[in-house]
Amino acid sequence: MTSARRRQIGWAFVAPFGILFALVFIVPITYAAYLSLFQDRMVGGRSFVGLDNYGKLFADAQFWDGVSRVVWFTLIQVPIMLVLALALALAMDSMRLRGMRFMRVAIFLPYAVPAIVSTLMWGFMLGVRYGLFGSINGWLGTDLDPFRPSTTLVAIGIMVTWAFTGYNMLIFDSVLKAVPHELYEAAAIDGAGELRVIRAIKLPALRGSLVITIIFSIIGTFQLFNEPQILPSMVANSGITTYYTPNLYAFNLAFTGSQQGYAAALALVMAAFTIAIAYAVQIRGMRNALDQ
Amino acid sequence: MRLFTKARMVCTALVAAGALAACSGAGGTTGSADGGAGTADQPVKLTVWSWDGTVELAVPGFEKANPGIEVEVVNAGSSSDEYQALDNAIQAGSGVPDLVMFEYFAVPYFAIPGKLADLGPLGATELEGDYVPSAWNNVTNDDGIYALPSDYGPAVMFWNEATFAKAGIKEAPATWDEYYEAAKKIRALGPNYYITQDTNDLFFLLSLIWQAGGRPFEVDGTTVHIDFSDEGTQKAVAFWQKMLDEDLVNTKISAWSDDWNRALNDGTLASQNMGGWLTSTLPERAPDAAGDFRVSLMPQWEEGEKVGAENGGSAFGIPEAAANKEAAFKFLEYFTHGEGLQPRVDAGAFVPNTSVLDSTEFRGVKNSYFGDQKTGEVLAEASNIAAVGWQYPPFFEWARSTYADIATPFYTSGEGSLAEVLQTWEQRSVEYGNEQGFTVD
Repeated sequence: MTSARRRQIGWAFVAPFGILFALVFIVPITYAAYLSLFQDRMVGGRSFVGLDNYGKLFADAQFWDGVSRVVWFTLIQVPIMLVLALALALAMDSMRLRGMRFMRVAIFLPYAVPAIVSTLMWGFMLGVRYGLFGSINGWLGTDLDPFRPSTTLVAIGIMVTWAFTGYNMLIFDSVLKAVPHELYEAAAIDGAGELRVIRAIKLPALRGSLVITIIFSIIGTFQLFNEPQILPSMVANSGITTYYTPNLYAFNLAFTGSQQGYAAALALVMAAFTIAIAYAVQIRGMRNALDQ
Repeated sequence: MRLFTKARMVCTALVAAGALAACSGAGGTTGSADGGAGTADQPVKLTVWSWDGTVELAVPGFEKANPGIEVEVVNAGSSSDEYQALDNAIQAGSGVPDLVMFEYFAVPYFAIPGKLADLGPLGATELEGDYVPSAWNNVTNDDGIYALPSDYGPAVMFWNEATFAKAGIKEAPATWDEYYEAAKKIRALGPNYYITQDTNDLFFLLSLIWQAGGRPFEVDGTTVHIDFSDEGTQKAVAFWQKMLDEDLVNTKISAWSDDWNRALNDGTLASQNMGGWLTSTLPERAPDAAGDFRVSLMPQWEEGEKVGAENGGSAFGIPEAAANKEAAFKFLEYFTHGEGLQPRVDAGAFVPNTSVLDSTEFRGVKNSYFGDQKTGEVLAEASNIAAVGWQYPPFFEWARSTYADIATPFYTSGEGSLAEVLQTWEQRSVEYGNEQGFTVD
């Protein structure tokens, strides 16, 4: 077999992936990049504006408002969710619980509920007139409202945590299952207690998966969309604006404001931003892992 | 978001009124390209995009009278969804429907960039006198006629006679001053009692401004002038600010919510100033209040005056890119003006045609939900007195979603003022309009 022929066969093997990758990834992104160089106007139609959309975006207070909201959200919600998931996974792995299989499925189940359904469900639960908070206010004579502009983001945080804790727990759980039992036996012989085992064996084993879950979570929260998109139709004056999160802003720009070019620029900038942060987390996570 | 529910309400109202919503798949436009009438062998096929379920009812009669034309009514989503679909179809150059439903404020959005056909040459000019003036005003500008009105929302007041009586008020407030006094008395009935609610309801505020003579938007081709400082606007805004400041308006309950239904049901929300179309949905929303509600003209700014405004309503236009404009106009005329009108009216459609509004059948019917009041009389009068000259900017679809962003902080915190909200709205709209290629100041 000549080397040229061998090379051709290699390409043939890569082709199925390559074609799909080009179709669903490279083509849309290239098209978005192309669109982002144009401005759509109701009068005058589409015109080439170069990088103007990007310049405008960086000066757009509404864009930054949305970005800072998801950054804060990420900084607070992701650690809480991951610590919860970690604690649950360690509890499962402790072998001291009954009905673990049921627990595992029950905790994972919310992940399988579509975001639209879960938002409606939580909307009713946290609503003040009907549902849980209505009853609590009725019993206690309080005036709690989870959907005030100042607390809406917390309510969304609860919904997201509910939905994704089980998913992350499952990742941690599968990693812990892969730890060889000899290690635990050796630790026991050395006289290590449960906490010591967690610190010395389990947590280091989880480090790699922690990096992965952090990256997934950052990507997920940066793309926050369903919850703020649906809530305003259920709750009045929840404080959710058309630019509440960058994704919601892009959606509204494109479909209510007919500014597709500007929306494309926003989407690309957010993608770059997300990739940069995810990459930084990965580099840092890996370096620490190598230090071990 | 809440605002768009209103459009959806009109839709559900019409659907609920007894007609079937057409939910077949989207169909492209086929048929002869010459735009002629077609023959029985080679029928012209019309595609109609509508969220008004009563349009379907006019189809059998039309097809019988016009054997060469077939009509398919498609629900392409209501309001914003449909506009988007239409924009996409026009841009793509295929799948453009022959007739499309619009809320009145959306007509300029499509008419000004030349996306709608002028119906004048097709025969619409002579129909002018058959509609109430303000409805006609909604579908025309200096250059042409871009749609025909299909349903209408004259602003009227729905008031709960029982709650008003409890507060010692026997008659509907005839002026806004009386309304203010009534609001105080109703507020005194208990902590949950309010004369009405408002959580940044833009269309209500605009109807108030409209009635007071304010004309904040002036549109001339691609030139738009926005100004909330005229006398009428200021009068209306100052009045509503006073109502809000003195806690006479419930700012916690938003229209169309479950809370709203309950408060209307138990009589703690005593009145609604809304489009006449509420007549058909109120009985479902507040079944327990049967017999309590009455319909009156909106309170007036000056005693003895009779000036009205609009809140909602829609029309049908023909896209410039449609294949069969003549056949399309034939059907349009049939169901908004001709013989197809009556089946729609019978099914609950409220139309601005004088032939219907002036008829004794329409005016004479006693409505048992409203305590056997002849509601048609009031609605017809409110339609006839709706003030003309109101214009919506062509980018109103965008503007109304932005309004909610700006107004929500004011409504939730009470900080700032309605006037400031409008000022910010004006600034943003001017910026956006200029970006979109209009000349806006």
